[in-house]
Amino acid sequence: MDKTSFSSNEGKPIRCKAAICRKAGEALVIEDIHVDPPQAYEVRIKILCTSLCHTDLTFWKLDFGPISRFPRILGHEAVGVVESIGENVEGFKQGDVVLPVFHPYCEECKDCKSSKTNWCDRYAEDFISNTRRYGMASRFKDSSGEVIHHFLFVSSFSEYTVVDIAHLVKISPEIPVDKAALLSCGVSTGIGAAWKVANVEEGSTVAVFGLGAVGLAVAEGARLRGAAKIIGIDTNPDKFELGKKFGFTDFINPTLCGEKKISEVVKEMTEGGVDYSFECVGLASLLNEAFISTRMGTGKTVMLGMEKHAAPISLGSFDLLRGRNICGSLFGGLKSKLDIPILVDHYLKKELNLDSFITHELTFKEINKAFALLEEGKSLRCILWMDK
Amino acid sequence: MEKTSMFSIHEGKPIRCKAAVSRKPGEALVIEEIHVDPPQAYEVRIKIICTSLCHTDVSFSKIDSGPLARFPRILGHEAVGVIESIGEHVNGFQQGDIVLPVFHPHCEECRDCKSSKSNWCARFADDFLSNTRRYGMTSRFKDSFGEDIYHFLFVSSFSEYTVVDIAHLVKISPDIPVDKAALLSCGVSTGIGAAWKVANVEKGSTVAVFGLGAVGLAVGEGARLRGAGKIIGVDLNPEKFELGKKFGFTSFINPTLCGEKKISEVIKEMTGGGVDYSFECVGLPSLLTEAFSSTRTGSGKTVVLGIDKHLTPVSLGSFDLLRGRHVCGSLFGGLKPKLDIPILVDHYLKKELNLDSFITHELKFEEINKAFDLLVQGKSLRCILWMNK
Repeated sequence: MDKTSFSSNEGKPIRCKAAICRKAGEALVIEDIHVDPPQAYEVRIKILCTSLCHTDLTFWKLDFGPISRFPRILGHEAVGVVESIGENVEGFKQGDVVLPVFHPYCEECKDCKSSKTNWCDRYAEDFISNTRRYGMASRFKDSSGEVIHHFLFVSSFSEYTVVDIAHLVKISPEIPVDKAALLSCGVSTGIGAAWKVANVEEGSTVAVFGLGAVGLAVAEGARLRGAAKIIGIDTNPDKFELGKKFGFTDFINPTLCGEKKISEVVKEMTEGGVDYSFECVGLASLLNEAFISTRMGTGKTVMLGMEKHAAPISLGSFDLLRGRNICGSLFGGLKSKLDIPILVDHYLKKELNLDSFITHELTFKEINKAFALLEEGKSLRCILWMDK
Repeated sequence: MEKTSMFSIHEGKPIRCKAAVSRKPGEALVIEEIHVDPPQAYEVRIKIICTSLCHTDVSFSKIDSGPLARFPRILGHEAVGVIESIGEHVNGFQQGDIVLPVFHPHCEECRDCKSSKSNWCARFADDFLSNTRRYGMTSRFKDSFGEDIYHFLFVSSFSEYTVVDIAHLVKISPDIPVDKAALLSCGVSTGIGAAWKVANVEKGSTVAVFGLGAVGLAVGEGARLRGAGKIIGVDLNPEKFELGKKFGFTSFINPTLCGEKKISEVIKEMTGGGVDYSFECVGLPSLLTEAFSSTRTGSGKTVVLGIDKHLTPVSLGSFDLLRGRHVCGSLFGGLKPKLDIPILVDHYLKKELNLDSFITHELKFEEINKAFDLLVQGKSLRCILWMNK
């Protein structure tokens, strides 16, 4: 990476390309934009590659409510290299390979200092502002000088972006960057859910509802912990073959269950229910099935999917009273700056399978094709390479 | 207890004694003469010394429809007794032992009993509708007409004698005053267990308890002994507040005085964002939602101990859950009766655990309907009913 090209832009706006979402559900438009220099506690990053996650799809289509904003630069799963840093930025310098992460870790608040949770009290409540510390200020302007909204504090569908240091993780330059990008969202969420939130132990039984990247990553995490049985549930049978690579031992296709509920099938397969179940889709009704699929007295259910309609979760009171546990988790309970480097390390030691998550590779300009592939259920993770 | 020939007189034969029978939903119990059959294999016949009343008894005395409604029935499940005779294959119990009958089973053989992760008992706990654990719907009670009387929660302590399966029996030290011991067979153990085992309250944490009955006050006692920093009690009855101070409560909220504010909002204000642990000890789904929202985002844990008779589903905000809260339910405070109750007895004998303050009334067995009234009117906490000596 040529350092002179970096220092020439330091302190000045950069003109580059970005894929802008101007209208809900319409194709993104590749346009020239301006990216302002980083302010205090911020870093400007040159994106190397980025991948698409269902959350990008959800927000791309959202056309009403306070979190619907246009024009906006989506994308939140990516890897980049630091181009320049703002004031008061320690621990990052030009040329560092970094992962921007939607989930904050300020390292200073009561929750960041506690080992019990990955909640960040200073920031996590507010995911609507453009820039973390500066509220609705944006670092992006289009060619008409109009402000473009950020997304989840990352906005990686752009050659350059500006990220708050609470959302940035420095990683080893040894890991292939496309594998590293996966760890900035979905795959880390799944592995974290299995390791940190559920704490799956050797010999336990697991059921995963929804075999997208998050669900498959849960299985990978459970496999590495020595789970004895890992059941995958999905309406798309194409996921089953892929699932075997991640440790799934059994599969259930709900459309083929007839009159039986999924939970009944799971209970039959496991003599009373699984030790752990994970909901990785985002449907209140499915979460209920996941909940009653677990064993009475000890079962634990982890909610990872964001309910599409913000519908409340409804649980049977007796099912709960008899000893089941349920919890939710963002980013798999991981504290980004501490835990992502650990996952990078596992990959470098060939203990963690990241390669199988990547099913497609395209250039950044083909981004709308990547959206189509994901929507049609034909891809798992599609890497979009920025021009070098 | 003198091991006179009085016990062996009845061995192997039915005993004729008095019991308070629930014959019609919502009506006063009737003291009648009944017959109690001898214990079969794996069973023990017990002479009840004293028994107390718990809200669950009141609820079941009123159920008039559905599979849980059974008449005539002998209620009562919080008690202490002495063993009169034992059936075949009974190890670890003998005539004269002081025992607590417990509604929650502990068979010690199934996969869950052997696991330290829960107090579920897979062999038995699913089936709480049968009369006698191993023998399905057979009953050991007959009224004076020879008609079967239903058991209740495998204990049926509103009777001078009862028959209990050994999976529901705990031998305890004779050193503890029996009326204090009786409290440990249900409500108080549930509350302490919830604080110690289920939530695992640590020093300095903040706690909110919804419902200050015996279970809720016991949660407070358990949290106090763990060194909780703040223990907030929520109840509509302000008289519970004075009593609550004895159990470690540091603050109180009366929902009727909160005005427009939700209970959870008040709690969040009092604690800078929410409590570490909340406990629902009433059995109202709307209250559970409040208990859930009262906990700290990202790490808060809610323990459900109460249940409503309509089995209304519980509703939780999906985003509140997604951001990291935990919810779990628990029967008998997560305790394994035969292992954990003796530990609580020990704490009491070492003067570390306050049981005395739970007992607000003492009556004779014949006055049992008065005890029901006192509880329903919210005037008593635990009323001990002494059997005739």
